[in-house]
Formats: sequence, C-alpha cells, structure tokens
Amino acid sequence: MPLLDVRDLVVRYGPLTAVDHVSFTLRAGETLALNGPSGCGKSSTALAVLVLRRPDAGEVRFEGRELTTLTEGELRPLRPLMQPVFQDPYGSLSPRHRIRDAVAEPLKVQGRWSAGAGPARVAELLDRVGLDPSYGDRYPHELSGGQCQRAGIARALASEPRLLVLDEPVSALDPSVRAGVLNLLADLRDELGLGYLFICHDRAVVRHFADRVLEMRAGRISAS
Amino acid sequence: MKRPTFPSGTAGATRALCLLAVLTTVGLLPWLSGRDPALTVLRARSAEQEPTEEALDAVRQDLGLDAGPLSLLGKWASDLARGDLGTSWVSGTDVLPSVASGLQVSLALMGVAFGVAVLLACALVAPVLVRGRGSAGAWAAMLAALPEFLLATVALLVCGVWLGWLPTSGWQGPLYMVLPALALGVPAGGLLGRLVADALPAVLDERWVELWRGAGVSRGSVSAAALKRVLPPLVPQFGMVAVGLTGGAVAVETVFAVPGIGRTALGAAKSQDLPLLQGAVLALLLLGLVTGAAAALVRRRLLGPALRDSGLSLPPARPVRAHPVIPLALFTVLAVTIGWGLLRDPYALDTTARLAAPSWSHPLGTDGLGRDVLARLGHGAAPTVGTAAAVCLLSLLVALTLGFLPGVAAGAADIANALPPVIVGILVAAVAGPGTGGAALAVALISWPPLAAHAAALVQEVRASAFLTAQRAIGASPWWILTRHVLPSVAAPVARHALLRLPGIALALASLGFLGLGAQPPAPEWGLLLDESRAYVERAPWAALAPAVALALLAGLAVSGAAYAQGRRTTRRVTKKEALVAA
Repeated sequence: MPLLDVRDLVVRYGPLTAVDHVSFTLRAGETLALNGPSGCGKSSTALAVLVLRRPDAGEVRFEGRELTTLTEGELRPLRPLMQPVFQDPYGSLSPRHRIRDAVAEPLKVQGRWSAGAGPARVAELLDRVGLDPSYGDRYPHELSGGQCQRAGIARALASEPRLLVLDEPVSALDPSVRAGVLNLLADLRDELGLGYLFICHDRAVVRHFADRVLEMRAGRISAS
Repeated sequence: MKRPTFPSGTAGATRALCLLAVLTTVGLLPWLSGRDPALTVLRARSAEQEPTEEALDAVRQDLGLDAGPLSLLGKWASDLARGDLGTSWVSGTDVLPSVASGLQVSLALMGVAFGVAVLLACALVAPVLVRGRGSAGAWAAMLAALPEFLLATVALLVCGVWLGWLPTSGWQGPLYMVLPALALGVPAGGLLGRLVADALPAVLDERWVELWRGAGVSRGSVSAAALKRVLPPLVPQFGMVAVGLTGGAVAVETVFAVPGIGRTALGAAKSQDLPLLQGAVLALLLLGLVTGAAAALVRRRLLGPALRDSGLSLPPARPVRAHPVIPLALFTVLAVTIGWGLLRDPYALDTTARLAAPSWSHPLGTDGLGRDVLARLGHGAAPTVGTAAAVCLLSLLVALTLGFLPGVAAGAADIANALPPVIVGILVAAVAGPGTGGAALAVALISWPPLAAHAAALVQEVRASAFLTAQRAIGASPWWILTRHVLPSVAAPVARHALLRLPGIALALASLGFLGLGAQPPAPEWGLLLDESRAYVERAPWAALAPAVALALLAGLAVSGAAYAQGRRTTRRVTKKEALVAA
C-alpha cells in the first residue's frame, strides 16, 4: 500500500484551473519531486494533498484512507501525520512566539505535552535538526533564514509525521546554506523512513535528492 | 477552514441598513424619548390652560403619541414624503421654514469656512511644494486637533472681547461671519493641509518626478502634476472634512449665537421640541450625505473613467512623528496639574473670593461661585478620563468583533463616519436626556470605525500568513488558532491604537459637555467648565483660560499620540521586510 495515492486531483480558482487531473503515488521512505515553473500549480497541489485547501475533485488517499470526504473534525487527528514545510522560513513561524514554543505547540495541541518530558523532547528535536537548544529562547526574526528553516523542520517533526510536504524548502535560502538543509532532510528521511513530496522549480536542486521527478506544466503532469 | 468571502454587496447593504436605522431613530424620536411631552406642549401653547387629564389627552391625540411606534413612524415618513416636516411643539409654527432659514445661514457659514480651510491648507502645503520635500505635518496636525468649540471660545475671547475688533454675537452682515468662519475653518484647513502635505513627499519621491525634472520640465508644472496626482485618493477624506463641518457648526453657531441649523438642532434637543429636532437633524444628515456624494463625483471627474476604483492609490505616507519628549511633556504637565487639583475641594464655595485672580490660595483663580478652578480642573479630569477609558474599551470590543466581518464593518463605518459626534450626541440626548452616560454612548457610537478598520486589516494580514496554515496542519482547532494566534496578533496593536485615541475621545466628550449634552452642573467636567466660564469671561478670563489651555494640551497629546499609532505599524512592516532581505 502506498503512503500517498493521489488520483485526478483538480483545484480551481474561479474560472482558472490551477491543478488539472493530477495523479501520482508515493511510497514510505521515497522522495517524489514535483518540478515546474512558478504558477504551474505545484503549491496548489501541495495544499490540496494536505487538504489545507479542499480540492474541487479527485481523491487523496493517505495510507489507504480517503481524506477529501472527511469533515474538518475527522481530519484533525490525522493532520499531524502529514506536515508541511514552507518556502518562507520566517512566514511559517509565528513572529510572536519563541522557537521553543513554536516547536512545543504541536505537542500541546496534540495532547502529548507534559511538564517533565515536554521540554526535553523540544531540546531533542532542536538538537536533531542541528540547532543548539539555546536557540529555543530566540524569536524567529533573531535567527538566520537557514536556522529558521531548521526550526520549521523541528516543528514539523514534533508532530511525528510519516509524510513531509516540502514546498520549495530551500528556494529562499542562501546557496551556501541550502546544502546543509538538504543534507539534514536526507538524513531524516533515511533515519525515520519519511516520505517526501518535494516541490521545487529548479531541477538541479533535486537531481541527487529525489527518487523520481514529475514535471508539471500549466496544471498538468507533463513528464516523469 | 475556507477563508470567508464576502459578496461585494455586503458593504452596500450594511450601509443602506445603517442609514435606515438612523432614519428610523430620527422618525421614532417622540416615541423613543419615552417622556410625556404633552405637558411641555400644553404649557408652550397656552400658559393659562389647566393641565387637566382631558386637555393632556387632547394634546396626545393631536400629536399622535398614543398611536404606537409603527403608525407614528408611518405618519412621519408619509408626511416627509409630502414635504411636511410637521409643527414645532414649542412655537406651534411649521418646522420647514425654520429648518430652511437655518440651513441657509449654515450653508453660507460653511461655505466661507471651507474657503478659509482651503486657503489655510494651501499655506500649509506651499512650503512642501517649494522645497520639494519635508512636511507641514506637525503644525497642520496641531491645528487639525483643536476642537472647534475651544477655538471658537478663544477667538471670541481674544478678538471679540479683549481687542474688540469684531462682533461676536449674531448674524447681521459679513463682519459677523469672520470669527465663526475662522473657528470652523481653521481645524478643517489643518486637516486638509495635513492630508496633502503628508502625502506629497512620497509622491515627489516617485520616479516620474525625477524623469520630468531631468527632461527640463518647469518646477511649476511638476508641482501642479504632483498636486493632481495627490488629490484624487484624498477627495473622499475631503468629503469627510466637509461632514465634520456640520458637526463643528453646532458648537461654533452656539458660541457666536448664529441662527444656523446646528444651533436650531441643539436648541430643539434641549427644549424637547422633537419635530423641529427631527427636521434639523434630517437636514444635517442630508447635508453630510450630499457632500459625500459630491466628493465621490469630484473624484470620478479627476480620475477619469479609466481609473475608477483602486486604480490610483497613493504611496504610503511616512508618518511624521513628534519627538517622544513632546507627548511625554504634555502628559506630565497635565498629570501634575490634575494631581495637584485632585488634592483640593472642587465644590467648596468661597463667596468672599468670587472670580478671584490667581494667587497662592487659588493658583488658577476662582470661578463665578468662588470655587477653586484648579480643584475643578483636577476633579473634572478623573471622570472624563474614566468615561473616555470606558468608551475606549467599548469601541475596542466592537472593533475586535467587527474586525472579523470586514464587509459589515465597512458599511457601518461609512455611516458612522458621516455622523459627527455632536449630531449623534444630540440624538442620544433627545432620547435619553443629557448626561454623562448618553454622551459616552454617543462618542462610542462613532469612535469605533478607525479601530475596526485597523483590526480588519490585521485580521486579513494574519489570516493570509503561512504560519496560520501551519497551525491547521498540526491539527489545531479553530478555537486554539483564534485565541493563541489571531487574537493576540490583532488585540495588542488595536488596544494600543485605542489607548492612543483616548485623549481624542476625551475631547469629544468635553465638546458634548460644552454644549450641555454631557455631564450636568455642578459636575466639574472640562467642557462644562469652559462653557460656564464664558458668562464672566470679561471679568475673569483666567477661569476660561485654564480649561482652554488644558483642552489644548489634551489636543496636543491626542495628535502626538496618534502619530505614534501609525508610526509603529510602519516600522514593524519595514523591519520584517529588512529581515527577509538580510536572510
């Protein structure tokens, strides 16, 4: 059974069809890259796969379970299993919360927080993404783009996901920082057996990183 | 959670609903006021008639008061449609001619005042145009913050009474127009000048200006083009300035005894002459709506058909911030004066020292009853600040609620903006009787729109941000997102904004007090202090000067504080952008 099975996904914005009958599957531990120019519907696909935006048609099966027909309440306990990492490292963390609180929030929301084990788990997660736990005291704007993106990954890992939807996770970063973040992602994948849906617009970035690359043009998968 | 979308008609529909609500309130005034006007009317009509039950019943039937609200409203509306505004309860004459003559006088006054305002605005803007940069912000903002009733009283005091240059009371010729038009026109001119002068530097920084200058286009042509570029987006605000004139007219006409529509409305409200009040308020509303519509028309003409809606927006103005020492100094002076005054007794009558000049025992002198002015100033501040804080809190709550419903907020804000506080105060006083509670309600009714607009903008910004999507992705409930993320991002800045508007709200309350629509004697309310001191201003000018200076300081605090509210927002946005660039 594939981890993720997307069939005939359609997303429309008014008269515009952003995602036009897109289908693909993804196995656990596999990295599937979705490559294409800006405006081709990659990010809409990402949001629809996460059911953060309801697709207008099509199926999203996660571990065999159809998600698009579930209500928001039924989805909520499943959401932690698939986590997004966004392009803008600063925009995806609340500017008002310290890094420690941002990483702790999934534990609290999902009822896995305890006064004893919680802080230790946060420190462990920060350490796992290569951030010194002292960074937990800082606010997002006090970190560099690369450090911020690592914090975002730590937060995603706090939910103990099986799938990460990486929406151009390194596009906004300095080229010198990119390799470090990509290496971290590769290590995590191998260690935790995560499946990655990797959205990008630069084939060179994913050439060595992805198992398969799907080319997307004007809302359709054009080649694989 | 889909983002809520609002049909574009929501704002229009709320606007129509709000207007209907205001009209219904006006139409139902006799019923809403709840007090039995039969006795008043009977006394006014024939002083010698005994107020027997039959006579009172006859009056009630005559006025249609026993028929219930719906038929009352229906009769009012159908009479209105036939051009019949009813008969004054007090004088027994037709309302329409009084309203028409009042409107005529007020229109003349407002016309001249608008001229004064435009001249002053030109004087404020000219230096910015000549230098090509800089701003007239601080001066213009100060002038704009001066309430008309304060300016009118000071002008009356200085030019009319001390110097004796100009007539101060009545309406018998062009000379009688000078002081009222100045008092009404100067704050409006300050506001107009400030709007243009604040927007100009950003426009002069636009690239076409450099291009034109490089191509050898004359200075005059560049200035003219820059002005033409600045004006269209500001015209709706000019319309609001004109609406503000209708509210200011009430105070100015009262101070200078000008027989205009504003004074008619105020007099009618005080004497419970509801048909006359209905007519006068209707005329004032109509005036506001017509000016608003005229402003929209002018804007359309200026823009041409191609750029109707958001086609031409202004670059964001860089707010002029006063040095932080200024608001702090103003605050300190006020706080020390108030604190000192609070230690003294505001009601103690010293009949041997009536209208005494400032001395050690009475540092700011005494009033007509021999009460200590400093004590009254101090004790007047506490309830004013308390009421203003309550009003602030109320408008903050309304703003936070409506901030989540931008469509509804926009329509309601339009109507609230078209109603000057004084007119709302008159309506509320007519329904509930004059009092602190009524004045607070009136000011609260119109002080929420800027806060709601701020809240709506922030809600929109937060809802669109990626970190909120990330909250849903971890399985957070809408309640968690609302209470942990949306409300904290919105409530703190809007609360700060509300706090900075506190002095402005206190001023609005004082202006209602000045007109007798707020706190009642012997309460030491600031507006009331100024009003009371007018009676003996020739003999004891300091009794008027103390509250006038205190109110002016409050106005200064209002404007320097408000600049901070805007400044903070812009700074935060810049740092965010800088952070992204630096990353």
